[in-house]
Amino acid sequence: MAVVSRSKLIFRLGGIGFLLELADIVEVVDQIEEALDPGRSDIGQGIVSALQFRQTWIPVVDPALKLDILSAVKLKNKVAVILCGSEGNWALLVDQIEELSAVENFQPCEIPFLLKVATMGCYSQVKLLNREPMIVFEPERYYGSAAVLT
Amino acid sequence: MSRYGLFRFGGLNYAISLLHVQKILQNVKSYTLPRLPGAVSAVLVDDDQLVPVLDLAQVFGVDYHQESSVHSFQVVVESEYGVVALPSDMTGRIVAEEKGTLSTIVAEKKELGTVGMFVYQNEEYNILDINFLAIEMTQGFWQSQPDTGDARRHQ
Repeated sequence: MAVVSRSKLIFRLGGIGFLLELADIVEVVDQIEEALDPGRSDIGQGIVSALQFRQTWIPVVDPALKLDILSAVKLKNKVAVILCGSEGNWALLVDQIEELSAVENFQPCEIPFLLKVATMGCYSQVKLLNREPMIVFEPERYYGSAAVLT
Repeated sequence: MSRYGLFRFGGLNYAISLLHVQKILQNVKSYTLPRLPGAVSAVLVDDDQLVPVLDLAQVFGVDYHQESSVHSFQVVVESEYGVVALPSDMTGRIVAEEKGTLSTIVAEKKELGTVGMFVYQNEEYNILDINFLAIEMTQGFWQSQPDTGDARRHQ
C-alpha cells in the first residue's frame, strides 16, 4: 500500500503527458461507450457527457477543451478516470493511461517566467520524467465549485 | 571585440550577439505543452529546465515546411527575461564584427524584432533583438500589436 501511495498515474492527452495523484482516483474505466449519455452535457461547465458509474450518472469532463488540446481519440474510445471531488464523483476523459510511476522518478522543474502568464490558468506545476515534461494535473481546476472555466 | 553567431532557419539568415548565446544543441527533443503562447512552438528541456522555443517562422514569415522541414539545431540564448531557444538548420558560425559590415536599416525596412543587419561574405543576416523577441513573443503582445516596428524597448 505504501508503494502505491508513493506513485503517480501518468496519462496522455493529445500526446502530452500528465501526472495525477493516486489519492484523487476512485477507479479507471475503459470501454465507456455503452455507459455514456452525450445528451446530458453542459459545455458551459466543461461537461461533455454523463457516465453511468456504480448505478448513478456522473458528469464527464474533457480537459482537452479547456487546455485547447487536439486529440485524435474519439469520445467513445477514451478512458475515464473517476475522481472523487468536493461535489461527488466525476469522470475525467483521457486518451490513454500510460503507467504508474514512483514519485522518486520525477524531478522538479519550474515553469519559466516567460511562460507563466500563458499557462497559469490551466496548470501551475510541471515535473520531469525521463527528461520529458509532465504536467501536474490539478482536478479542482476542471470540475467543482472552484473550477474556473475559460 | 564584438562577435556574432550566424545562423540560418529556412530562408532566414539571422545573427545573435555572442554575449547572448549560451549553447547550441543538436537533435534535442522538443515538447508541446498546452496553452503555450502563440509565438512559442514548443519547449525543450535543458539542464532540467524548460526552455521556450520561439517560432521564428511565424515572426519572419519563414516557410520552414518547404525550406527546412528539419531544423536539427537549437540555439539557446539568454535574454533579460530568461532563456529561450531559436531553431536553426545549421550549427552556425562565430564571426568577429570587423570581419563583416554592420548596417542600420531605415525604419520602414526594419523587420520587427531586429536591430540591424550584419553582412558577411555577401550574405545578409538580421541581427535579432533577443530581449524584445523573448518578451514580445511569450507575453502575447506579438499578435495583438502587429505594427509595433518602432517600439524598440531594448538595445
